[in-house]
Amino acid sequence: MSTMSTRSAWRALHYSAKRRAFQPTTAYRCFSCSTRSNEQKPEQDRMTHFGFTNVPESEKESRVGAVFSSVAASYDRMNDLMSLGIHRLWKDHFVRSLNPGACLPALTADQRGWNILDIAGGTGDIAFRMLDHATNVNHDMDTRVTISDINADMLAEGRKRSLDTPYYNTSRLSFVEANAEHMPHIPDNSVDLYTVVFGIRNFTDKQAALNEAFRVLKPGGVFACMEFSKVDNPVLDGIYKRWNFSAIPLIGQVVAGDRDSYQYLVESIERFPSQEEFRGMIQKAGFLIPGQGYENLTGGIAAIHKGIKPRA
Amino acid sequence: MAHLTRTLPKRLFRPIPTPFIHQTNQLSTTTRPTTTTTHLTTPRPNTVPHQNQRPYHSTLHARLPDHTYTNSQTAILSAALDFVPTTGFTLESLTHGARSAGFLDVSVQLLPRREFDLILFWLASRRGLLRSKVEDGLFTRLAAEAGKELSVDEKVKALVLERLKLNKDVKGVWQDALAQMSLLANIPLSLTELHALSSDILTLAGDDAVDASWYTRRLAVAGIYASSEVVMTRDPTAELVETAAFVERRFEDSRAVKEKIGTVGEIVGFGWNTAIGLGRSWGMKI
Repeated sequence: MSTMSTRSAWRALHYSAKRRAFQPTTAYRCFSCSTRSNEQKPEQDRMTHFGFTNVPESEKESRVGAVFSSVAASYDRMNDLMSLGIHRLWKDHFVRSLNPGACLPALTADQRGWNILDIAGGTGDIAFRMLDHATNVNHDMDTRVTISDINADMLAEGRKRSLDTPYYNTSRLSFVEANAEHMPHIPDNSVDLYTVVFGIRNFTDKQAALNEAFRVLKPGGVFACMEFSKVDNPVLDGIYKRWNFSAIPLIGQVVAGDRDSYQYLVESIERFPSQEEFRGMIQKAGFLIPGQGYENLTGGIAAIHKGIKPRA
Repeated sequence: MAHLTRTLPKRLFRPIPTPFIHQTNQLSTTTRPTTTTTHLTTPRPNTVPHQNQRPYHSTLHARLPDHTYTNSQTAILSAALDFVPTTGFTLESLTHGARSAGFLDVSVQLLPRREFDLILFWLASRRGLLRSKVEDGLFTRLAAEAGKELSVDEKVKALVLERLKLNKDVKGVWQDALAQMSLLANIPLSLTELHALSSDILTLAGDDAVDASWYTRRLAVAGIYASSEVVMTRDPTAELVETAAFVERRFEDSRAVKEKIGTVGEIVGFGWNTAIGLGRSWGMKI
């Protein structure tokens, strides 16, 4: 009974969210003058992909918004089911490899704790892990994380979860609603570590986001990104694809009552560039690539990409 | 894959152009066509086979660098080496290095292998130092001290000792480094580096064997060096006297083993020839 009621509640939530996000902008029609409509045309013609379908760039943001508003509350439970719990291992590994927090006593004021910007980290998954690591492993009480997300529903979920952490209502944790492609509120050369975990896939203009990351990072600062990637083993790839396209939308339908959002999710994974292509994009933004540039997790299902802003 | 190429034996470190290169050089000088034609029509007798040194590697290209780290990586790593004697081959040293090179704490992400990168950099840079010591006249100095020209074996021994002395400052933390190197994931690169070092030692000592004995000798040098490294970490003397004695004994051993193998080979060969001769004398068609 309870599952039925929660499910119907879910459905209601997600429909309301969709209605809000999908307010259609009526095409500008002017019969007396042709200039305005001509001006608008190239903007509308620039298409980007939303899963397997092509949509105008202006529309992708609101569509992705609808998806994540719809999945916000069931985000963790769904991640557990879809990845069979492996996403927690990935995230732990990601944070451990970054080793956030100053492990040496600070000599200058600048060295007191790291300034971390967690993009698309709405639910705080990565942010809390990084703060925990800084506090418990490196005994650094000064490292602070700014969680930035474009989606207010995801941020609300993160705020709710931060209540259970020791960082709630301290200067070490803050939330910002912003578009990662354009962050005028963050000054140049101010961030030590920029992380984006399972988020950059949904950006409309990935290169613009990378350029913005390059701008806000201090020289020597690190861009770290974990994202679904291409599996290199054909056997594993076959199993993985089958799981993605058959099981995940079904789980989405049963558990979250929303098949379409999870259909988008797997399609967007499929459309994301390969490890080498994405490394090229990071390089194009001006970052130095350490070693091979990426680390495959579970045979390439996910990959960690890193780039370092060179010292001027 | 540059480190793999480095493991190939480098017989020649002095660029000595062969007559063939002379010839190509002359062929490329189109300004003097008469000399070219005379040279082509009357080739000089080839004197190379009688020379001892025959290059395996092109003398027209510069030697590969000792390591393949980028400028920023090298800056952090070489700054970190100053901290190694006190804090060891640790992330702490790397972070100190990043700070003193003007980077941030987080910039150690430039080195994906962390502490192991520091160890590899130490090994590669010491290997380069050994080479530059030889180029600065290490052997002439040693020969003057000994009062005679050094043989190849003596040179090899001197180089092994000289390389061990370069580790003197990090003697206290070298066991940690050895432990790191023996981790499963790190073994291939550690062995590659050991091979590169033993190749370098043989090359610098002027070993110009062009048969399988090069490989056995390289294996022997690698074994002696690796075992004396362990002895060095427990050597209480400042000038590594005990280690030097250990190296001396190991070279004696390897000489003894070589002699024994040689003797056994002779016996087997003699026995085989006798058996064949005996068979033929009995009328067998062998």
